[in-house]
Amino acid sequence: MSRVLLQDIVMDYPVLGAYDRSLKRLLFRRALGESRVKVVRALDGVSLAAASGDRIGLQGPNGSGKSTLLRLIAGVYPPTSGARDIRGAVMPLLGLGVGVNPDFTAEDNIRLLLRIGGHAFDQAVVDEIWDFTELDERARSLPLRTFSSGMQMRVLFGAATAFPTDILLLDEWLSVVDQKFSAKAEKRLRDLVSRADVVFIASHDRDLLNRVCTRIVTLDQGRIAGVATADARGRNELNLERLQA
Amino acid sequence: MIASLHPPAHALELLEPVAESHGAPSPHSGSAMSAAFHSPSRRKPSVLHIFKIYYPDLFGGTLTVIHRICADLRESFSFSALVCTALGGARTIDVDGVPVERVRSLGDFLSLPMAPTYPFRLWRRMPRHDLCVMHAPFPLADLVLGFGFGRRQPFVVHWHADITTRSALRPIVQPFIRRTLRRASAIIVADEVLARETPILREFADKCRVVPFGIDVEKYIIPEAERAAIATAKRQNPGVVLACGRLVPYKGFDVLIHAAALGDFTVWIVGAGREQSYLEELAAELGVQDRIRLLGAVSDEHLVRLLHLAEVFVLPSVTDAETFGLAQLEAMAAGCAIVNTALNTAVPMVARHGIEAYTVPPRDPVALADAVTALLGDSETRQRFGEAGQQRAAACFSSQMFKSKIEDIYFESASPVPSRVEEPARAQERGLSIAGMARLAAVLAWSDVRHRYVRSILGPFWMSLQLLVTVGVLGAFTSQMTRTEPFGVLPTLAVSLTVWSFLNGVVLDAMNALPNAANLIKDRAVPPPVFLMQCFFRQALFALHNAIVPLGLWLAFGSLRIDNVVAALPGFLLFCGCALGLALTLGALATRFRDVKPIVESSLMLAFLASPVMWTAASSNPKALVLKLNPVTHLFSVWRQPLLDGTLAPESMALVVGLLAFLVAASGFALRQMRRAAFWI
Repeated sequence: MSRVLLQDIVMDYPVLGAYDRSLKRLLFRRALGESRVKVVRALDGVSLAAASGDRIGLQGPNGSGKSTLLRLIAGVYPPTSGARDIRGAVMPLLGLGVGVNPDFTAEDNIRLLLRIGGHAFDQAVVDEIWDFTELDERARSLPLRTFSSGMQMRVLFGAATAFPTDILLLDEWLSVVDQKFSAKAEKRLRDLVSRADVVFIASHDRDLLNRVCTRIVTLDQGRIAGVATADARGRNELNLERLQA
Repeated sequence: MIASLHPPAHALELLEPVAESHGAPSPHSGSAMSAAFHSPSRRKPSVLHIFKIYYPDLFGGTLTVIHRICADLRESFSFSALVCTALGGARTIDVDGVPVERVRSLGDFLSLPMAPTYPFRLWRRMPRHDLCVMHAPFPLADLVLGFGFGRRQPFVVHWHADITTRSALRPIVQPFIRRTLRRASAIIVADEVLARETPILREFADKCRVVPFGIDVEKYIIPEAERAAIATAKRQNPGVVLACGRLVPYKGFDVLIHAAALGDFTVWIVGAGREQSYLEELAAELGVQDRIRLLGAVSDEHLVRLLHLAEVFVLPSVTDAETFGLAQLEAMAAGCAIVNTALNTAVPMVARHGIEAYTVPPRDPVALADAVTALLGDSETRQRFGEAGQQRAAACFSSQMFKSKIEDIYFESASPVPSRVEEPARAQERGLSIAGMARLAAVLAWSDVRHRYVRSILGPFWMSLQLLVTVGVLGAFTSQMTRTEPFGVLPTLAVSLTVWSFLNGVVLDAMNALPNAANLIKDRAVPPPVFLMQCFFRQALFALHNAIVPLGLWLAFGSLRIDNVVAALPGFLLFCGCALGLALTLGALATRFRDVKPIVESSLMLAFLASPVMWTAASSNPKALVLKLNPVTHLFSVWRQPLLDGTLAPESMALVVGLLAFLVAASGFALRQMRRAAFWI
């Protein structure tokens, strides 16, 4: 039984200017007893509860705290105050980074990504991921940096979505895959979503959230501005998908 | 954990469809979720009692109260205790269902246990409980709490007494007591008088909550069957005056013995303590040893019989350390007439002069003897006092009232407060302990090494060839400079260069590791220390591979002795520990502060030149101060000296052990700070 429970989470993001980056200056300022690093309140009193079966969409303007909230759930950022209680394995798929090391071959990158995800796997899993990418077999042993960005995305997406997890955190993952690939990607993602216990999706795409989510939380300037349940049509569609899966 | 106690208001709002909701309720929201949400909240709040001592080391008033709270409220809370012990024995024992952790104490100093590890244990234990209850006076805990440890932990002070008997310590501990009280969410006192008369409590009057001790009055009534036996015993021992308490100075038993010498009555004293022999001597000195009996500690049932057997109960306490006098309440419940002393505490309020007791001035054996004699000679007053006492005990000091008041205060104070989340919880969620991180780091490092070999045409041997050439050139050069035989220095030079490039590589890599891994840290939530460990493993693998060069040279030109290699191992392990510590510390520091990297880089350059890496200390002046102060000298000499000639300089060893200890502490700090590493990159 997975769950995510956030209570009165406040998170201050330190804004490190050039001066704050200097140890010499820090010691000097400490000696003078000057004030501390400037902070921006990225999350302000966020309380949220999600249990098994919840698919929660996060929407809001840029800088409203969507990604920060997902990173906080993932444990990347520590909360300044408030309680965070998370049960279950968390799989964060947040930024669109370039794999583990672009100099390594595509296959090595897949393997390392799976290792980082904490999964035990064999060659069959790697082959399955490679089939999913629909890329040429010869490209497997080429360094990842020689791939076009669309090809890189396919590899990373395939590796990241290969295993189900308890708590899945997604940040704009659907909107980036190219048109031709996107139908296939969305199906795979839906499959993953349907197998995860709790899913958080941050997106600007209201239609997508309506299709996938059971609840949509609107963030504004680090606060929860509103909560809505997705309409019935969207849910039915999701249930259909789940039956297929 | 704390959040599970009560669902937060916002979370409840989220459970309800609001504003934009359409259609039928979702199968996932509502009841199913609130069930999941509520089920863990049935867990009883965990309460930690903090005091200096507990059963079975000692029995006494304060301990009775703690024991009573644990027994009475076990339905609502799960209790445990952290105390000191001078007796030794098991570290954690079970006292009537309460796990008691006992920290070893070296003995008492001014009634304070000397338990050096107690503050540490307290600091470790506090976050694990929903509420801590500190039983004052206990200055050792005041030190911990007063310094601000466990700042976010809710706690309550149970004020049993002031520290009057330790006035010498007062100026030192008073500020800490004040800070502790300032942080407490409630201060429990046994009587209003205490809150009013104790100077330091007056500052916190709004926090003081009066909860009179309660006793189970039923327990003090003798069953019908035993009454005849008691009456017989009473006829055999007429006019017994009973007192009860630990045999410590403030209880004033010496005054009672003096009074017995002045009057003509028999005194039985129940209790054990360090004054036992002194009191026996005093009785002998005054010639009343046949009328004074020290009964030692007795069982509860036996005490009840003694209370019924006695005609008068005396509480002769002499200082305000006696805040309540639980013993006199027990005597009242048993229907015994009381003589107590006019202290500035609740003592004369519990049993009141002329109603349930005669109150006499403290330290006044004459007045005490008079009061006892008067009561012994007046059965009517004795009867009246006894009945009034029994009624008062039942009406004002019932255990039920005590229980419900304490319960209220604990529940209020233990209610969830926003608190910093503990890091270990997160590591468990991610399935990454330190060992897990090291494993992942090793996998990453191995793939780095593999990759490096795949890329170059000469493969694995290119690096070694490079090293061989460097060693050859430098060897020729140094042998020219120091006029030594060129082949003799080569093995030493090769091994030194290999190890130096390992240390150099670890430190330089570590300073770039976190920014390079920014996307994995921020987007995949990989713990930052993984990448610093990766640097260490990667460089270790490279060094291991390069070791082929010094090994070959040694076999060719030197005499490699196995016992020297074994002797070098401990020093080399210390060296590796220091390298890992440096990676963690400097890696974190250089990521947070951008000006650290240039400083470290130039220091490394300087260290390479100023340390006996290319040359040995023996070949220059070994007493040179520059060498002695240079930690790199010692880092090398702890393993190289044994390797060369089997000797080991003890001061080098001591210095490196000290350095490692420092780096372990610094790494611990760096690991904690690295929770925030995502903010820096």
